[in-house]
Amino acid sequence: MPDVVNGKLLAKARPLCFSGFAVLHSGVTRTPLYAAEHLTRARIEAARQLERADSFHEEARLPPDERADLSDYARSGYDRGHMAPAGDMPDPAAMADSFTLANIVPQNPDDNRNLWEAVESAVRGLALRSGEVHVITGPLFEGDDLRSLKGRVLVPTRIYKAVYDVKRAQAGAYLAENAPGWAWRVVSIAELNALAGLDLFPSLPASVKQTAMALPEPRRDGGRGQAAGTDRESRRSDRMGPLEAALNRALGRFVRDLLEGRLFR
Amino acid sequence: MTRPEPGDAPALKPFADESEVRRIGDLTIENRTDQVSLYGSLDLTRDQSGLRHARALKRIVEAIVHALETQTDLPEAIAAPEPPERTKNPFT
Repeated sequence: MPDVVNGKLLAKARPLCFSGFAVLHSGVTRTPLYAAEHLTRARIEAARQLERADSFHEEARLPPDERADLSDYARSGYDRGHMAPAGDMPDPAAMADSFTLANIVPQNPDDNRNLWEAVESAVRGLALRSGEVHVITGPLFEGDDLRSLKGRVLVPTRIYKAVYDVKRAQAGAYLAENAPGWAWRVVSIAELNALAGLDLFPSLPASVKQTAMALPEPRRDGGRGQAAGTDRESRRSDRMGPLEAALNRALGRFVRDLLEGRLFR
Repeated sequence: MTRPEPGDAPALKPFADESEVRRIGDLTIENRTDQVSLYGSLDLTRDQSGLRHARALKRIVEAIVHALETQTDLPEAIAAPEPPERTKNPFT
């Protein structure tokens, strides 16, 4: 779980555990400050099977004056944007939980339905190929003045999705405007921490936080036709000769063992 | 795991609430009081699952058409969204 560095974020902050994800909820913004998930290949394969018939709902465990209501979002022009995505949820209970407003921020509809959907899909693809990733998604509230729904629910300026790939022992984060368009970039965890006022993945060594891993590109077709293993990186390994590929795998294992030994001893 | 079919889900009442969501394939249908949003994509395949999905979609679209046809004083266009308020950033 991330540590909170900016003390102002702690006002009315409450951790909430759900089936399949956990959030730190702010009664100041009436949104999550982050949502954390552990994605495995098995979980993503289970998630692909689910059709959904669900309902957005107010979070009953939060004090009424600290939580967003459905009426806050009504006629706002904003989508109810999931932080831990419905598409990551492996079973009906987790799927139903993901529609709590404690997991939702006001999100630009074009961003929610296009770029951000593609980012979520790209991370699921990474979890399928790599096997295990930790993902933390959240809003950034930047600048002196913010927009708010009915003066109650603060509208994020940007949205991030930070990823730690357990096997590669590498991390990085997608960062996108909460606005129409396809503007996104990858930043290091260190850079994101400074923006968010959090210490995401506090147990990672500084060197991992400072180097942004190469995250898969969000695709406009939502990854359709993108079978597992056709990302840029595996194409690169396809071009390697067998000896080069074997050496590369051995080196990867060595670095991984080294880092994991350091991390978890 | 039993796989819930969208055709078995309770009917969505268009424009009646801000909460109900249905998913057919990768198509998401979200109920709002001023609109029903459909986004994502859906392949209606020429097989049994395509037929189930097509029927589920038809049921929802028919409910939307019925709700709009039977509403008295249906406006030419819905009101523009309420502009957001300005709030001082509590974290800076």
